[in-house]
Amino acid sequence: MKKLLNIASFILLGIYFATVLTEAQAISWYRIQEMFYFKSFHMYGLLGSAIATGALSLWIIKKFNIKSVNHNPIEVKDKPFQWKANLGGGIIFGLGWGLTGACSAPLFISLGINWKIGILLLIGALAGTYLYGILKDKLPH
Amino acid sequence: MKNEPLAWYIAGPLIGLIVPLLLLLKEKQFGISSTYRFLISGFTKKLGYFNYNREQDAWQFYFAIGLVLTGLFYNLNGYDLNALKTTVGGFGGGDVMHYVSTSGFYDLSNWAIFLFGGVLIGFGSRYSNGCTAGHCIMGMSQFSLTSFIATIGFFIGGLIATYFIIPYLF
Repeated sequence: MKKLLNIASFILLGIYFATVLTEAQAISWYRIQEMFYFKSFHMYGLLGSAIATGALSLWIIKKFNIKSVNHNPIEVKDKPFQWKANLGGGIIFGLGWGLTGACSAPLFISLGINWKIGILLLIGALAGTYLYGILKDKLPH
Repeated sequence: MKNEPLAWYIAGPLIGLIVPLLLLLKEKQFGISSTYRFLISGFTKKLGYFNYNREQDAWQFYFAIGLVLTGLFYNLNGYDLNALKTTVGGFGGGDVMHYVSTSGFYDLSNWAIFLFGGVLIGFGSRYSNGCTAGHCIMGMSQFSLTSFIATIGFFIGGLIATYFIIPYLF
């Protein structure tokens, strides 16, 4: 029962996130194209205010030492600094983002909206992940 | 179907709220793309990268189920990705739209773009150790240099795709 509730809570948070993203049209190739053509402020406003909200929340949590609902202190870890991988992988990811208009969340959302397109994206993403698993030790990190 | 998106100054903060929501309710740092690794390790653990404690990423998979369910809900209500063609800010003389066939970008005739683009999304997000969720939103909220570099990479790649690849694909 506890495990089911745990799973359900993540699904609910996913539904919350996907609803906002879809209503804001951040899942649309057209909005992403406008962003990269610097023709619309919409996506920049979205990303900027999302980051500002996230940063402010983290600051408040730290400042007032706010605990989680399970009374644990909140720990925020930094991802390892691997600039070659962060930049190189980032550029490759960006190419996919620019081509398809999808990053990871829109990929899963589009699986529900239009499964034929979504499944192509997902198969591709899984193949790409597998390829990374093969090449990982040969790549600069 | 309405074409106006939810205003950025409302939607943006709601997106950012996922960071404290996940931390305070579930003690998790926001991210999505580890789901790919989680899924593959469910099939095969032959490669070292997939032979790991996959339970740590299970929550991202559950989160992704919520994403798919939401898409399905919109689908059942007649949501069409191609209906978003009307621009928010304008493309300035439609200099992009003429690339796209009348049926719109979301058409199976573009299957190779989705498949190959998906490969780049999967490979790139694992190589850079995060995607727009984990790096752009979570990492940038932490002022993490790692995520700042990754985000710059995302935009370099996106700009290359937009200016130097997409115009030649249609």
